[in-house]
Amino acid sequence: MHSGLLVMTADMLSNGIDSLIGNTLITQFIMVILEIVAIFAVISVAVIIQVYMERRVCGFIQDRLGPNRVGPFGILQTVADMIKLMSKEDIIPAKAERVLWGITPMLLFIPAALVYAVFPFDDGAIFTDLNIGIFFVLAVMSQSVLMFLIGGFASENKYSFIGGMRAVAQMLSSEIPMAFSIMAVVMVTGSLKMSTIVAAQSGTWFVFIQPLAFIIFIISMTMETNRTPFDLVEGESEIIAGPFTEYSGMRWALFFLAEYTNLLTAAVLTTTLFLGGWQGPVLPGIVWFIIKVFLMIFVFMWIRWTFPRTRIDQMMGFSWKILLPLALFNIIATGIGVYIYNWMY
Amino acid sequence: MQGKGLLTGLSVTIRHFFGKKVTVQYPEEKLPMSETFRGGKLVLDQKKCIGCRLCSMACPNEALDLTVETDENKKRHMKKYIHKSGRCLYCGFCVEACPTKAVTWDKNYAIACYTRTDLTYDAVKSDGRNETHE
Repeated sequence: MHSGLLVMTADMLSNGIDSLIGNTLITQFIMVILEIVAIFAVISVAVIIQVYMERRVCGFIQDRLGPNRVGPFGILQTVADMIKLMSKEDIIPAKAERVLWGITPMLLFIPAALVYAVFPFDDGAIFTDLNIGIFFVLAVMSQSVLMFLIGGFASENKYSFIGGMRAVAQMLSSEIPMAFSIMAVVMVTGSLKMSTIVAAQSGTWFVFIQPLAFIIFIISMTMETNRTPFDLVEGESEIIAGPFTEYSGMRWALFFLAEYTNLLTAAVLTTTLFLGGWQGPVLPGIVWFIIKVFLMIFVFMWIRWTFPRTRIDQMMGFSWKILLPLALFNIIATGIGVYIYNWMY
Repeated sequence: MQGKGLLTGLSVTIRHFFGKKVTVQYPEEKLPMSETFRGGKLVLDQKKCIGCRLCSMACPNEALDLTVETDENKKRHMKKYIHKSGRCLYCGFCVEACPTKAVTWDKNYAIACYTRTDLTYDAVKSDGRNETHE
């Protein structure tokens, strides 16, 4: 039924384990564990590549070379940085709410990783093909704002707290236009299921059918992932580093991990919703998927290193006064379009 | 049109992304030093040197310690040309004072060393070519 490279590998693996053990239940259990390990490996490797890529892209845009000393072409720079972060002293602010402060970086990673359960990586390679897939993504992704607020509150630092408050304000203003832009895609597809959304793009990618929704989605996703020009949560010139101010070493690295996981999520979502997911000619689905995802990551980095940071009031005004009406208009236009299409055929 | 500047900005950055990089990868590549750069070690061209000692006389800080020998033809030769670079001001008066342009700077700026004695060297012994600390 499914012909994807990943599905074939998984089938081969599960048949192999089944013939070794002979118990279907244990085989299924082992496969689930393997899948979880695989997704965490994919996230970690992708984060390492993204950090390297970010520094290289930033360097290239600023006419520099970026890291190129550690390992061939500097690819081991991120590994060296990670070793440095792990060996750093663990500093806990004296007045911080220790428990809340300590669990925040760990909790932040949970919603960031949880959404990967519903992403279609290849033909049939999807952990749980929920019939409310995209709704689940929206619901889980917005949870990460809580950790920012808790982290900012527990640090007992006014800059952290302002950063946490800003995270909430920013998330609220970005989620709504994003949800409405996704709704236009859902209206065309007629389903919230991720695999159906990908399958609906076998002819034309939604970026051509819904260009306005695509642009709104990209902008609100930049807000969602706290990246420049909307990185007000951690705007250095105003509030030092926002909720991350009091964190250092490995705890700070966990924040960073979650941040880049969110960037990967943004790229994967854009690929799935607008760029036809894993679909493409000649090459296997997973290769197309990786190409598209990294292209989108490049676009996000390109945006980041081009534009200066906006002010919080500019960002909120833009989101509520421009993006939201545009998204609503897009929904009405899509509704009329879908109605006419159904009436004609 | 609103938002046109954003596209202009994006086109500028993508041009720079694919454009030429200005980084000089230091240990492998080095920038050429300017004509007037004073620094590094002194290079003595023994064929040009007439042993007049004008360079050491011009030195305001007694950084040059010269030994000159006169041969049977009453011609003077530089035996030792010791440059105590720890005392040197890098003013370049010695180079200016030389009537035959026998003294020049090697313009090597990587001259940091581990011991004080390494700062003192003989420009005659090194035969115009100074070993440098990389």
